[in-house]
Amino acid sequence: MSKGRRGDKPPEFRPGAWLLGTGPEHDIAICTRARLARNLQGFRFSPCLDEAEARDLYGTIVSRLQKPGLPDALAVVDLESIDELERSVLVERHLISRELAAKTRASGVAVDPDESVALMINEEDHLRVQVFAPGLQTEEVWRRTERLDNALIQRLPMAWSEEFGFLTSCPTNTGTGLRLSVMLHLPGLVWSEEIDKATNVAQKIHLAVRGLYGEGSRALGDFYQVSNQVTLGRDESQIQSDVFLAVGRIVQWEREVREALLRGSARTRTLDRIHRALGVLERAQILTSEEALGCLSALRFGIEEELLRDFRVADVNRALLLSQPGHLQRHTRERLQPEERDQRRAQLLREVLGCTP
Amino acid sequence: MQYCTACQKAPATIVIMDLTEGAVTGSQHVCAACAEQMGVVQQKLPPKFSPELLEDLLGGLKGNKPTRPQKSEACPGCGMSPTEFRSKGRLGCPRCYETFRHDLMPLLQRIHEAQSHRGRLPARVAQPVPAPEEDRSLAELRRRLEDAVRGERYEEAARLRDDLRRAERGEGAKS
Ligand SMILES: [Zn+2]
Ligand SMILES: [Zn+2]
Repeated sequence: MSKGRRGDKPPEFRPGAWLLGTGPEHDIAICTRARLARNLQGFRFSPCLDEAEARDLYGTIVSRLQKPGLPDALAVVDLESIDELERSVLVERHLISRELAAKTRASGVAVDPDESVALMINEEDHLRVQVFAPGLQTEEVWRRTERLDNALIQRLPMAWSEEFGFLTSCPTNTGTGLRLSVMLHLPGLVWSEEIDKATNVAQKIHLAVRGLYGEGSRALGDFYQVSNQVTLGRDESQIQSDVFLAVGRIVQWEREVREALLRGSARTRTLDRIHRALGVLERAQILTSEEALGCLSALRFGIEEELLRDFRVADVNRALLLSQPGHLQRHTRERLQPEERDQRRAQLLREVLGCTP
Repeated sequence: MQYCTACQKAPATIVIMDLTEGAVTGSQHVCAACAEQMGVVQQKLPPKFSPELLEDLLGGLKGNKPTRPQKSEACPGCGMSPTEFRSKGRLGCPRCYETFRHDLMPLLQRIHEAQSHRGRLPARVAQPVPAPEEDRSLAELRRRLEDAVRGERYEEAARLRDDLRRAERGEGAKS
């Protein structure tokens, strides 16, 4: 493990877990993520730290992470050493939150080479442990998270109490500090206008449904995140099975509506929509990221249902990522005005998808 | 008697072991107070008798929400005031959980429909794995096996050999 020094470029990452397009139920479940909120004894919670304390906390955590024996090899990226563009690349890869990217004091992220583990340092909590795996794999992801958490607990004096469990900055995370979420691609539910029903059912059983980039973000391109809301009073394995069962039901629901969308008179309308999206991707000269997401979602649907043969899901996932503003600008190696961005995006998507207009 | 290696003042009553992948790589003898500070043990303080406590109890008996005089005391851990906590709904430090307990409980109830934790705790994770004892028992078994072989007590040797294999696989030996 090496510490990112000031001025270092963050490591070039291989495609992260959520891009692989593999794993159980991968036609609908893109990626499973566990997140743990942890805080150290002897420090105020991150939002209350002054600059010196924040630096002290950051140093303490980084030095303890460098002790050998962690189950994952982590490289620390010091966020003070990278610029806004590079931070947005990390956000788009789901390695750090928008909140952490906006911080102006000592903070960082420790990432493993596969991008399947990302520890945010000095976010809303001192530590936010994140573990990712492709597809619907709540049990596997929880097992890995638990192993990593055990190792962290041996290294760092965590704040906790018998009564409240792990003590967190916001009471919505108190207890297990565990947020288990699954990113789902639900074009069937959206196109057949059943998504609100599905969302309501999920919320009734205390699951939160959010857009692609977590709290407060809108659902773009028919991508949703489903996660547990309750962290207190239910243990980790209960949370795991709650999320697994509920997501399983939503996946089943999505399959049923997809079938209906491809039967009888609905089929032509569905095919029309998918091919129109493909037409836009192949021909458009200007594409906003919102429009691109919508088209890529339709394309992914077409590939998963074997309506389109010349494209691969992994390429669509890559296109989804590369069309985000941060990645787009890093790819072109220059800062672009929004209009130029939309132009480059249209061009880049054709390249990634191998479209030959 | 061994003294606490952290404060050097109080007698050490607790041994903290550093575990690396199940093996003990170091240990430290500390007193209960230092252990608590390190987050290894948390003392359950008995509720101190106070007018507030009495009022809480009476309030509960009266059945309606007690009109509690607003305490203006800030959290001793971070200096957050009760007003600040109420307006933000965020805690400032671990001690806030006790300081603002009165306001926090209904908040937790509303968010989680629960007020207490179920699940993992560092105390349970940090239960030292008795690795050195296991090593000792392995060595002991080997010694007894050699003895038995030397003394030509083959039945005993066969049993000890099986025990040793089980122990080496980490299944625990019955000796
Ligand atoms: Zn001591
Ligand atoms: Zn406090």
